[in-house]
Amino acid sequence: MDNELTALTTIFTEFYYWMTVVLMFLIHVGFCMYEVGASRYKHHQHTLMKNTLLIPLVTVTWFFFGWWIYWAFPTGPGIAPSIMTESTGLVLGGGFGANELANPTNALMAINLNDHIMGVFWAAFLLFSWTAASIVSGAVIERITTFAFGIMAIAIGSIFWSMGAAWGWHFDGWMVKVLGYHDAYASGVIHAICGGFALGILTVLGPRIGKFSSSGEPRNIGPRNPWLVCIGLFLIFTGFWGFYAACNIPIFDLGPEYGMEGTTFFTATNIYVTPTTLSGITMNFLMSLSGGFLAGYWVSKGDPFWTYSGGLAGIITSSAGNDLYHPMQALLIAAVGTWCAYKLHYFVERRFKIDDAVGAVAVHGYAGVIGLVICGFVLWGYPSSGYDGYAAINPIGMIIGAVIMFGVLGFIPGWVLAKILHSAGKLRIPRDVELAGLDYNIMEQARKDERAVASSNR
Amino acid sequence: MATVTNWVDHLTASEVSGQIYPFVGTELWWVIAGIAFWLCWTYYTATGEAEEQRKLARKKHGANDYKNNISEW
Repeated sequence: MDNELTALTTIFTEFYYWMTVVLMFLIHVGFCMYEVGASRYKHHQHTLMKNTLLIPLVTVTWFFFGWWIYWAFPTGPGIAPSIMTESTGLVLGGGFGANELANPTNALMAINLNDHIMGVFWAAFLLFSWTAASIVSGAVIERITTFAFGIMAIAIGSIFWSMGAAWGWHFDGWMVKVLGYHDAYASGVIHAICGGFALGILTVLGPRIGKFSSSGEPRNIGPRNPWLVCIGLFLIFTGFWGFYAACNIPIFDLGPEYGMEGTTFFTATNIYVTPTTLSGITMNFLMSLSGGFLAGYWVSKGDPFWTYSGGLAGIITSSAGNDLYHPMQALLIAAVGTWCAYKLHYFVERRFKIDDAVGAVAVHGYAGVIGLVICGFVLWGYPSSGYDGYAAINPIGMIIGAVIMFGVLGFIPGWVLAKILHSAGKLRIPRDVELAGLDYNIMEQARKDERAVASSNR
Repeated sequence: MATVTNWVDHLTASEVSGQIYPFVGTELWWVIAGIAFWLCWTYYTATGEAEEQRKLARKKHGANDYKNNISEW
């Protein structure tokens, strides 16, 4: 940085992404509160630890290979040629065209006086990875082993969502080029993948003891602490502001980027380097939240759990196209997605005996898929990229994209991994432990300590 | 050992070197050490969890037994 303007732009961008990381941290705080609130008393501490441990596990593996996957596989490999050349500012050289900056053994992936962006960009993506693993975490509470969940968290947080992002959430991604896939705020590449992954695990893991009667009727295992669930979801909403901002590039001159001689056009862009504004997506975010709240309240007849979850489902449904939608479109699309997700949750629960403890498959998976499909129709004909040779956004491409996200990168890997762990006897906690409560030993010791302290007089 | 011993010399060099952390050039070994730590952690915590659950399962507690252990600190 040898002049003030370049320095200001660079430091602004660095600080921008840093702030998104801080905000997104609240998503994880929210998920922890939400899950503890939803779990029963005898499982509280293990539920909290399970979700907490995904932070270090996904972080270290994101450093080892998750970030590299994102930069290594945009082309498939081998499906669509890369447009990455040195003229775009990217250094080639890693496997499958991976950026050298994403190689964990390279000197560039560390404190570097010549690079102010890659570290915070890495961290912003990492916080998406935590979110990915946390989405799965809620669905499987009270019966999965911490070991199995750790494996699942690494798989979804550092491998499969990263692969999905490389394919469909990258300016060079083959799905963008070939299918016209558009998913600006990750309806598919985070939410649909994770919902599918969670469903794959749940299919093998089975329901909590007592969830279904002998005749197969589902029973409600309501949240033990609805207030904790409520605050948790509010914190997730708060963190989502950071999530949305992190999906943008805050300042970019599209003139030279698109090869327009003599044209200068500074703007914020989405991850595909097509223009949008932080201002516009702020309106759409709030309208999506509102549409989800309204539909959630309506369809659940005022149930607080589903009203809050509806807000989240609304945001997730509209996210794919929220860089371009009108605020009213965002509102209505969110409402449709939330209504469908709610109905699908109870249909799948009754029909397939799936015990999704927090409705994660519905709120993230079904809402994400519906959001992708609707985006394909509403944004039909828009260019998916400003670069030459990319397919336009279209319904068929988006439906195929939804199948890839939910099914190929979500459900199938989740099901296969769960099957492997189940075969090894490592997936589910023993039945007697589930009945006694994962925290039984901790609680018993605390009771002994309490008695000892209470009976002492000095 | 120290990559930078004088900031003025470092920043006035004809080409400023970006890397300022200790032991530049040994990154591969640090990554290998990190992976080894992660794998060891996974093995030992998984073993411990399985053992703890086996012991608890043998006690055959009922679904409401935990209520006798609710402390009121």
